[in-house]
Amino acid sequence: MHGSARLARTKLKSRRALALGVTIGLGCTLLAACGGSSGKPTLTWYINPDPTTDPNMGQSLLAQQCSTNQYSIKVQELPTDATSQRQQLAYRLAAKDPSIDLMSMDPAFTAEFAAAGFLAPIPLSYQKVYGAGKLPGIVKTATYAGNLIADPLWANTQVLWYRKSFVQKAGLDMSKPVTWSQIIKAASDNGGTVGVQANLYEGYSVWINALVTGAGGQIVSDTAAGKDAKITLNSQAGRDAASVISELAHSKAAEPDLSVSNEGTVLTPFATPQGAFQVNWTFVYPNYQADKATFKDLGWARYPETVAGKPSRPPVGGINLGIGNYSTHKAFAFQAAKCITSEKSQIQYALQTGNMPATAAAYSTAKLKTLFPTPLLTLFRQSLQGGGPRPNSAYWSAISAAIQSKWHPPSAVNSSTPATSATYIEQVLQGKALLQ
Amino acid sequence: MNKLGARVYVGFVIVLLWCLLPIAWIISLSLKPVAETTAGSPHFLPSSWTIENYKTILKNHDFLHALLNSFGIGLIATALAVVFATFAAYAIARLEFPGKRVVLSIALAIAMFPVVSLIGPLFNLWRAIHLFNTWPGLIIPYMSFTLPLAIWTLSAFFREIPWEMEQAAQVDGATSWQAFRKVIVPLAAPGVFTAAILTFFFAWNEFVLSISLTSTTAARTVPAQLAYFVGPDQFNPPASTLAAASVVVTIPVIIIVLLFQRKIVSGLTSGAVKG
Amino acid sequence: MTAVVAPRTHVDAPPKHLTEKTKAEHRLAWKLVAPAVVLMLAVTAYPMFEALYLSLFRYQLTAPKDKGFVGLENYKVVLTSPVWWDAVFNTVFIMVVTVSVELVIGFAFAMIMHRIVFGRGLMRTAILIPYGIITVVSAFSWQFAFSLNNGFVNGWFSWLPWITGNTNWFGSHWPALFAICVSEIWKTTPFMSLLLLAGLSQVSEDMLEAAKVDGATWWQRLYKVILPNMRAAIMVAVLFRALDAFRIFDNIFIMTKGAVNTASVSFLTYAEIDQQFQLGLGSALSVLLFLSVLLIAFLLVKLFRVDLASARGEG
Repeated sequence: MHGSARLARTKLKSRRALALGVTIGLGCTLLAACGGSSGKPTLTWYINPDPTTDPNMGQSLLAQQCSTNQYSIKVQELPTDATSQRQQLAYRLAAKDPSIDLMSMDPAFTAEFAAAGFLAPIPLSYQKVYGAGKLPGIVKTATYAGNLIADPLWANTQVLWYRKSFVQKAGLDMSKPVTWSQIIKAASDNGGTVGVQANLYEGYSVWINALVTGAGGQIVSDTAAGKDAKITLNSQAGRDAASVISELAHSKAAEPDLSVSNEGTVLTPFATPQGAFQVNWTFVYPNYQADKATFKDLGWARYPETVAGKPSRPPVGGINLGIGNYSTHKAFAFQAAKCITSEKSQIQYALQTGNMPATAAAYSTAKLKTLFPTPLLTLFRQSLQGGGPRPNSAYWSAISAAIQSKWHPPSAVNSSTPATSATYIEQVLQGKALLQ
Repeated sequence: MNKLGARVYVGFVIVLLWCLLPIAWIISLSLKPVAETTAGSPHFLPSSWTIENYKTILKNHDFLHALLNSFGIGLIATALAVVFATFAAYAIARLEFPGKRVVLSIALAIAMFPVVSLIGPLFNLWRAIHLFNTWPGLIIPYMSFTLPLAIWTLSAFFREIPWEMEQAAQVDGATSWQAFRKVIVPLAAPGVFTAAILTFFFAWNEFVLSISLTSTTAARTVPAQLAYFVGPDQFNPPASTLAAASVVVTIPVIIIVLLFQRKIVSGLTSGAVKG
Repeated sequence: MTAVVAPRTHVDAPPKHLTEKTKAEHRLAWKLVAPAVVLMLAVTAYPMFEALYLSLFRYQLTAPKDKGFVGLENYKVVLTSPVWWDAVFNTVFIMVVTVSVELVIGFAFAMIMHRIVFGRGLMRTAILIPYGIITVVSAFSWQFAFSLNNGFVNGWFSWLPWITGNTNWFGSHWPALFAICVSEIWKTTPFMSLLLLAGLSQVSEDMLEAAKVDGATWWQRLYKVILPNMRAAIMVAVLFRALDAFRIFDNIFIMTKGAVNTASVSFLTYAEIDQQFQLGLGSALSVLLFLSVLLIAFLLVKLFRVDLASARGEG
């Protein structure tokens, strides 16, 4: 026993030394990770994924082009969906991470980040530059408490994409505004489908919000009141929205994967003989360019009306560029943002990705017209001007998640859904209900 | 007897099918062209075969970074956990002391601990002491959660070692260090190695902490990277590319299983039989 | 420390010296186990206390100014919420279904492995692959298998009256839960079968032979000889798998993200903390999750009357 005990002690000593060594090793790794290098500073720009992974296109290319001899910009890619993007950024920002200099933010959480103090307040001089000539729909998503809190990089909107041959067969006149009921009926009567976004994710809230605003309502009325805001979803507009969703979910026009559908899943069925309609963002146009037959047959119209006669309020999306409040290179970041969102950059970005400029004037440039037909550009611009952005509340993430949990799956939506979800949202905001 | 033998082999084939079918499926999926899976391909086998997905995935920097993180974090956590577990298991197997049952109960409690319970407080703590999104930020909890299994496996092995041989060697003129190195180490090594394999499996597989305590490829490990996989489609990760990534991260598992299957089985079952 | 290396020649040492020796042994033992114990407790006990503390506050990460003490309010919210009870139901359902199915399949696997002569190594390899594979990968594999666009399940099983080429497994509650259970069962049956195999090898062949001579049928031998002699192994396997299944998270995260009411308690806790940033409410969930696991462990141990510490530590 003694012998082995002594041995164990020797062993212990050497192991202790080893453990210590490893611990020191880890510490150094940690320090190295924390310590900065001297010389030209590098700005880190957290980007949402582009439709292309080519490092010489999209936001990666803008990062290269906007690097100067004072600083260089490198990109760090975020996950695909807005909810995960928000999560990854908020984690780092809550940890006061100085390495976030620039970030591409979805409108869904721009206000929340501003309210949490994650975004560097933009000096008035830069507010003027960033807001100049930008479309009002997207500027609204980048405004909080009367100030511009982020720099709109590009603006997104949804239109109704349709197969020309199908509407001809169905005898639907697309030169006049159409309603959801009309396209659902036309599709189900003629063996076609209507593609929407109804998975349990932010995209479903986008659809619901567009339906509610299209019926003249609002999900939240006074966003400035934060968590005490009045939830106005329990209204005629809310019920009109619910009836559209329920109608589609129970019709033959619904795609089989309706409850897990997103912007990507609806692209494929649209290109099959059953393809008829889809509501989707602007990238759809360049997306079908490789598929000659579908591309030739691709038609577009303004987003469908929730109720006949009331102009639709197309969804507004896009990306706002935020400057991290804990960045150690804020002055450079403001300067870089100006370059990244310049009209020239926006046009180049639109040509490469199909993501449309936030600047109104860009829509009438010759370059953009080489990629998009003029009538489509006009439709995009009009949609953005008449668009119905999601409520600009600092609590939108919670509101959106609460809506999704009560409105999903779409087949379960009925006329009482707006009432139950409105009560639920209020409880969630007050911390009186659990959110999944 | 022949009838029994035949039945056993029918069962054998069923077991092989059950265990390997999903593996065959994910491999088959990884060999389908992206265009095929995007257009929808409800057949088991690809209609045209390609290795393009593997080329894509091996050029994906985020994925390669995650692989590096997984190996680095997994190996360091394994090494440290096995060292600490060896101390503890030696004491449990060889020494009598009050509180032995307490130690074993703590180990048992940790093995059953719901890891998700920790993500809130650990996130709070880690960002306060700057361990969030770092290697040590994952290595430390991985060590804690693998210690119980390592301690059990090792103490079961240590109990089997004929420690008298060490004294016999010393009687024969060997120094204590020589006796330890020449006699005990070779006897204990297989147990330590088994514990190391099981520990590494845990770290390689761990998901909850990896998604909660990291936010970039600086520390994100493979399972989390797969969950946040970004492909050429900005909305949906392409099934076939994701399948290729899955196959790549399964290769180390298969190699370890092929080489060390006996050790893994003995480690998993040590101490589980006698109640 | 010096007492540890006391000379070995003191054969007839006074009793006092013996106690010294014992004390030294105790000290050494504690020094050896201390690092492991400290590490295990540092990462669990301290954070649990912090969770307990945070659970008394209204605290959202992105609204730090709104933080405030609310007492036990968060617990009241959780325990009166249908979302919580749905998650508890789902979790218990998954636990009961998967563990029962695994027990049956795992036992069959173990019997085959026990009886097989040729191909034992191949079978062991095949069984260890699901065990070793990353849960996330297994979840992806099954998610794709069940998926509408890329899955083979609909095609292979379309002869069943309720399955067509358009069956959306992740579109409603029970089919989605079924898919989750399948992936969990596939991944964890090997672990169960290996533990059962170890128990099976403890059953004496002589006893089985004797029963056979006495004219016992196969079923009688199973119920009267094999199962009673494997009792301990079965219980350890069930206990460990049940607690493992109760903590199910990875598959749900990958396959449904909790949609169509498939959230487990772990997933709900994760969503509240990591997606909603509700550190207060989420901490209350953490505490309740911890207590649930404790309760289940307690119930199972009482039910089986197994001395676990000795089962795993000293067996």
